[in-house]
Amino acid sequence: MGDAARALIGSPRTRPALLFALALALYLAPFAVGTEYRLFIATQMAAYVLVAIGLNLLNGYGGQVSLGHGALVAIGAYTVALAMVDHQWSFWPATLLAMVAAAAVGAVMALPAFRLSTWYFALITLGFAEVVGGLLTEWRELTHGFAGVVGIPKPGVLGHTLTSFDLYWLALSLNILALLGMANLLRSRFGRALVAVRDNPVAATAAGVSLVRIKMMAFVVSAAMAGLAGALFAVQKTVVTPDDFTADFSIFFLLMVVLGGAGRLWGPVVGAVVFFLVPELLTALQSWRMLIYGVALLLLMLYAPHGLVGAIETGWKRLRTRLGLSNIPPAPSTAIARETVHPIAGAALSVRDVEKRFGGVSALAGVSLDVAAGTTHAIVGPNGSGKTTLLNMISGFYPIDGGAILIDGRSVVGMAPHRIARSGVGRTFQTPRMLPQLSVLDNALLGAFPAERQGAAAAALSLPRARREQMASLGDALRYLDFVGLADRAMEPAGELPHGQQRLAEIARALVGRPRLLLLDEPAAGLSLAELDRLGELIAAIGALGTTVVIVEHHLELVANICRSVTVLERGAVLASGTPAEVFSHEEVIAAYMGSHSSVGQAAS
Amino acid sequence: MSANDLLQVSGLEVGYGHVGVLRGVDLAVSEGEIVALVGSNGAGKSTLLRAISGLLRPSAGRIVFAGQDIAGQPPHRIIDLGLLHVAEGRRLFRRQNVHANLELGLYGARLDRAVERQRYDFVYELFPMLAERPQALAGVLSGGQQQMLAIAQALMRQPKLLMLDEPSLGLAPIVVDQVMEVLQRLRAAGTTILLVEQMVERALDIADHAYVLQNGAVIGSGTPQAIRAGDLIRRAYLGALSDREA
Amino acid sequence: MDLDLLVGALTAGSLYALVAMGFNILYRPTNVFNFAQGDLVMLGAMFGATFITLLGLPWFVGAALAMLAVAALALVEEKIAVAPVLKNSASSHGWVITTLAVSMIFANLVGLGWGPDPIAVRPPAPLSTDTFELFGANISSYQIAVMVITVVLVLGVEAFYGTRSGKAVLAVAEDRDAALLRGINPNRLSSWSFFLGGGVAALTGVLAAPVLYASTGLGPSLLLKGFAAAAVGGIGNNRGALLAGYIIGLVEAVAAALLSPGYQLAATFAVMLAILLVRPHGLFGRAEARAV
Repeated sequence: MGDAARALIGSPRTRPALLFALALALYLAPFAVGTEYRLFIATQMAAYVLVAIGLNLLNGYGGQVSLGHGALVAIGAYTVALAMVDHQWSFWPATLLAMVAAAAVGAVMALPAFRLSTWYFALITLGFAEVVGGLLTEWRELTHGFAGVVGIPKPGVLGHTLTSFDLYWLALSLNILALLGMANLLRSRFGRALVAVRDNPVAATAAGVSLVRIKMMAFVVSAAMAGLAGALFAVQKTVVTPDDFTADFSIFFLLMVVLGGAGRLWGPVVGAVVFFLVPELLTALQSWRMLIYGVALLLLMLYAPHGLVGAIETGWKRLRTRLGLSNIPPAPSTAIARETVHPIAGAALSVRDVEKRFGGVSALAGVSLDVAAGTTHAIVGPNGSGKTTLLNMISGFYPIDGGAILIDGRSVVGMAPHRIARSGVGRTFQTPRMLPQLSVLDNALLGAFPAERQGAAAAALSLPRARREQMASLGDALRYLDFVGLADRAMEPAGELPHGQQRLAEIARALVGRPRLLLLDEPAAGLSLAELDRLGELIAAIGALGTTVVIVEHHLELVANICRSVTVLERGAVLASGTPAEVFSHEEVIAAYMGSHSSVGQAAS
Repeated sequence: MSANDLLQVSGLEVGYGHVGVLRGVDLAVSEGEIVALVGSNGAGKSTLLRAISGLLRPSAGRIVFAGQDIAGQPPHRIIDLGLLHVAEGRRLFRRQNVHANLELGLYGARLDRAVERQRYDFVYELFPMLAERPQALAGVLSGGQQQMLAIAQALMRQPKLLMLDEPSLGLAPIVVDQVMEVLQRLRAAGTTILLVEQMVERALDIADHAYVLQNGAVIGSGTPQAIRAGDLIRRAYLGALSDREA
Repeated sequence: MDLDLLVGALTAGSLYALVAMGFNILYRPTNVFNFAQGDLVMLGAMFGATFITLLGLPWFVGAALAMLAVAALALVEEKIAVAPVLKNSASSHGWVITTLAVSMIFANLVGLGWGPDPIAVRPPAPLSTDTFELFGANISSYQIAVMVITVVLVLGVEAFYGTRSGKAVLAVAEDRDAALLRGINPNRLSSWSFFLGGGVAALTGVLAAPVLYASTGLGPSLLLKGFAAAAVGGIGNNRGALLAGYIIGLVEAVAAALLSPGYQLAATFAVMLAILLVRPHGLFGRAEARAV
């Protein structure tokens, strides 16, 4: 292939222009080919795309399978139909009501999903769809039963009644707005948090993300979009009946998302287009349609879990690799990253007689330790002595069975782990908890979640203050990646980094949250000697920022070099504490480590 | 490596995703010995045991047990050959009782009732504390009792080679003494043992041979006396400082 | 209370409990909740109706053939839709969509093959669906048989979990890696569980056919009510599923009597959600192990 093709494929600038041309063509299309029937189909398709974009947020990014979106559309459609026909409301307030009603029902439907596994939610939404379908015919006083609601008027604006051309343009505009809003939302703190909640809830919690609030946001936004689509559906068809909302209706939306590409921005659009085109080609096979959908769903999940868009992306990457082009996008301008990192006011930690039991085994039996603000403290001890358990208690991941934990004099006992994280406690895990599909930079940006204040609406509209905040976070993230020495790998998928660098990236993520207390769980495990030296320097530099650091570590030399004080745990109790020099000359400590009295261990002093 | 090696590992490499954890490990265990494998956290000790027992598929290298190449075989085949692995952290079935856990140790063995009876008698005699509470749920036992049960469960298959991953984990010294004593009795009865232990001294006390692992590679091996005399342990546990001072 | 209503509730509840037990049998070793389970029950009813009513085979022969056929189909489902998903990642939830797809495939194949009309199935002689009065309630010998068979089946399946193979299934459910290290092959147990769960589903369908008729519409409603019984009883707990089945049957009967039959599903659903909100792991279930 020639240089021209390479330049075209390699250039990132062609895309916005292409998209703009596509939108323009779609706006102008009715003048060229706009028959009533085609406009009807196109408007209906646009309404479906709206539902699918919302479902993609929930399913593709949030990992929750909803089989009830058809029922949410029904609620939107019936709300608008009944408000306009029975109560003579105008379309616009009726649409608002439809979105609120769908969002409220979506929120109720979501409640069990917070405490139960994903598949419960799928079944509950399936049951919910059946119940709504049944009520549409049963609750005659409200819904007019089988006959449905007829004579829904077309919406009006300032005395002008919208034509089918206008409705098409309205639906198209709503699609474009939804896509832009979704793109903004997914790029913001909410998109990262949603993916984190899906792929690694523990990492999300440690970064200060409330699982409940993020999931609720996804449910509500997704349901409101289904309600809006329902409103369009009602005024476009002018009649709504229970037959419009069969059980299959919900499956269609799921199929659109899976077909186009779950977790891909353009997936639902591509899916809907194919979904509308294929039945036209298959009219002869009408009775086989659902069977074909079933087979398609199965094959897609097995062979193309990210749908058509995912398959195209994979092919594109292969093509670029063959042409010798890099698949790693360029990092954002690093000019902002080179400012110095700001000092942090460390917090004092006080642990008093903390107890923890698991079944018949006592993990911590009255552990106390104090760490002065701004110092670096190590917890050492043999495996199974309760070190990690203690970190999990301080960061709130395990409930406490007895005793007290104070951070800067305030008790954190009973606080949810994401709230403890938000109050300035960062942590890392023994096995780095990364989001493997996201870039290292996005992983680091997750750490900025609690610091940012923008709401979902501000993020979706990309308001100036939201953008400013995002730029500031980006600067922070790049700065701390530079600080840990990973600036040059910022745009690579985190899952492709070697173990040692994942650890560093995890530390950078914790630092982006500007923790006043940083808990590091065995940061040296599995590092090469060269990496180990760098880690020592890094922790010393973090300590120099002012952050209080508590480190669980086996590597005694590292501990001796960087820590002011050490606590030795053995079998859930404090064996010794003091400066490294004092502690490591302690006979019992050597014995605990090596199993018996030994000359070997004295090298540690 | 000699003819009476029950287990021979050569050039073994294992990686998780893009990350190499074992980088060409060579190791041999002779029949009737206790071989200790020591090294710091993250050195790759557990990964090595998981690869030998078939939980992980090696990306390169050979694992020969009792004359057969077992690299990449499923765990149940490897167990049928008499190679049993007691995993780190006392991985019992906590919601089932002591007796049921022992019975699960017999899964797939297809033995006569009388032989099964002998196996139960053997482990109950070896661990009288289990004989006292056969109906207790495994999850409510103390840490030491759980470790004994985990070893007993593996012994139900009368292993030729028993691999133990940190049996001392979180146990009181007196209980560690009991575990080590049991291992010595098993060796006397003809069982070969590969022992992963962070309590280096305890492991060296009972071992016939030892390997030191660091960063996924064997950095040395020898008799316990030779290991104690050299500075391998210091390097493995204390890292760069001792290198620089040496 | 109206005793006829109670009889109806216990009969329906027994069937729901059997559906729930089918779910549980598959769930224990795989942690997969089969979305096609309702269709397996429906297939059992359709095969049973074909063999018994249309081909005139003796009831027991027809029932046995139906069980074999559905068990084989469940095994096929495991091989094409579940094992490949779990092979990539044991914790993946991709099976939600793949088993749902299998459900669509089964339901539509049956629709194409058998058509939409329900088929009546006679109970095996000497049982009959004619009611007689017993302690003031109208009940048929077939209803009594369904209730008794259900209790016997639940106890039988629970007894299976006391055998070595049953204990191995529980072991896999609790700790897959530890089970592997004891020579237990989870893939084999998973296949066996689908086979067995398919058989139980078929038997449920055959038993339900004389009461509910055999039709394609059976799948979705039994999926949901079986799920309700399984969830309320605690996933994996068969005795809990039996009691929960009765509860669901009663709620449904009371809702039909007090409101209207159209509100049955809504009432069942509301009760289930209320119970799950208070006790997320069901009335007789237990919480999962710690996560970190």
